[in-house]
Amino acid sequence: MFSRLSYTFREMWASLRRNLTLTVAAVITSSVSLLLFGLTLLIQRGFDNQLSQWSGGVELIVYIENDASPEQIELVRGALEKTPDVIDTSKLEYLDIAQSLVEAQRLFAGDPETLQLLTEKNIPTQFKVVPTPDATPELLTQLALGFDELPKVIQVAFPSDQIEVLATLRGFIGLRLYLITGFLLLSAVLLIWNTIRTAMFARRREIEVMKLVGATNWFIRLPFMLEGLLQGLVGGVVASGAMLLFNANWTSGVKKFPSESGFGAFVVTGSYPMWIVFWIVVLGMLVGAIGSGTAASRFLDV
Amino acid sequence: MIKLENVTKSYSTEVTALRDASFDVAKAEFVFLVGPSGSGKSTLLRLMNRQEKPEKGAVWVAGRNINDMPDTKVPHLRRNIGNIFQDYKLLSNKTVFENVAFALEVIGRPKHVIRQQVPAVLDLVGLAGKQERFPHQLSGGEQQRVSIARAFVNRPLILLADEPTGNLDPTTGEGIMRLLDRINKTGTTVVMATHDQRIVNMMRKRVIQLDRGIIVRDQARGVYE
Ligand SMILES: Nc1ncnc2c1ncn2[C@@H]1O[C@H](COP(=O)(O)OP(=O)(O)O)[C@@H](O)[C@H]1O
Ligand SMILES: [Mg+2]
Repeated sequence: MFSRLSYTFREMWASLRRNLTLTVAAVITSSVSLLLFGLTLLIQRGFDNQLSQWSGGVELIVYIENDASPEQIELVRGALEKTPDVIDTSKLEYLDIAQSLVEAQRLFAGDPETLQLLTEKNIPTQFKVVPTPDATPELLTQLALGFDELPKVIQVAFPSDQIEVLATLRGFIGLRLYLITGFLLLSAVLLIWNTIRTAMFARRREIEVMKLVGATNWFIRLPFMLEGLLQGLVGGVVASGAMLLFNANWTSGVKKFPSESGFGAFVVTGSYPMWIVFWIVVLGMLVGAIGSGTAASRFLDV
Repeated sequence: MIKLENVTKSYSTEVTALRDASFDVAKAEFVFLVGPSGSGKSTLLRLMNRQEKPEKGAVWVAGRNINDMPDTKVPHLRRNIGNIFQDYKLLSNKTVFENVAFALEVIGRPKHVIRQQVPAVLDLVGLAGKQERFPHQLSGGEQQRVSIARAFVNRPLILLADEPTGNLDPTTGEGIMRLLDRINKTGTTVVMATHDQRIVNMMRKRVIQLDRGIIVRDQARGVYE
């Protein structure tokens, strides 16, 4: 058992060194493609955070003072439900203090000072309003003017033009980045495949002897498969490091933006970056395994 | 030990390398396969360790029909069959010791077994003092002895030799022949393809003669003709 393990690792290492140029090319390509994959996830998440307030077709938010009584809140709800032809009452949602605090954490992730000022004693609660499909913007605006007059209503907010732009951008960027990422990942697979094929060709005489003396196919393949797996893994680790660095730089950069820039929530914090690291590494190993696995099976008949 | 039943093997529609070959090789027997170049000797040897599969007929080795054997069992079959070639097939970047040890290492034999068996077999083939040399530092005859050591180190039941003296001068070839004879006397079945008349006539062993893929003679204590 031990001699098999030491054989496998020794051969893998020797082969990596012999093939240094190709190995480096394969690792770089997988790093770059995995980094792009990670950045795509980050950007999507940034959009989601920035847009989270307005997700689910919300086009109107009615902010209510923190100290409003239940009766006062019900009064607002009643007013909103009075126009079912404009407002989709089944999707009408009220975020209480706790829910509004959770949302604020995403919204002000890039602006910790503002976030600190918000407490359960002062955060406004809110009604999220989804209009019916045939409600025109004019009707909605007209309606909103009326709500301003109700007691304890602080403000009726519409999505800014910037939000509309961001929502469009998100759709535009997302699919295209995934496509580019896909092509880059494919080229990483092909490069690893080629590296392994070259490594096996360089050692075809050894492989021939191994087969003749009765080494199993798995024994012959294993060092090559591990070699490819390692290339993918190293690519994943490098990409993860670069992605975390990117994210840290961006997050600290956003903090310096003016608070009305509209990008305050365009950051990714918490455990999500570590999830991306996990997926980058898994994907990297998958890329390595697919590339080397197909090569090792295909070129064993030397 | 080896049994062929009506074996036919063709590589393409034009070339039939072997046609309807049948014979039996007993345990510890020594058999020469003779015939001109292209008559099918190598093909016959390759059929015996599943490097090739026949279109028709059956090949039995140690009581098993090896053509029905699943691919995953083939390595275990080959651990019982040693192979020797005209061009030695040694690994040039490994020493004599490493070349022989390689055969044990890649079938997962532990280190202490390797340390014990490799010097023993090198001693047997007469290369005791040359363990640390590389193949290019050896004569042709010595290189062939390394390859015999590698084929025999795992004590196989059968040794298949494809023109092992083909690249050697007559005296050196004779030495190799005597070594194979000695290995055969330990109970190992040996099948050797050759077109070296002198050696066949000297040994007076069983001779199976091929001509364009057909067995034309199978004679005990035969000569080359
Ligand atoms: N791998 C192969 N592909 C196609 N034809 C082959 C192959 N190996 C051998 N042959 C043909 O089969 C015939 C027998 O070859 P071989 O068994 O090598 O004969 P020998 O060893 O007696 O010289 C020859 O006609 C040869 O050209
Ligand atoms: Mg031949």
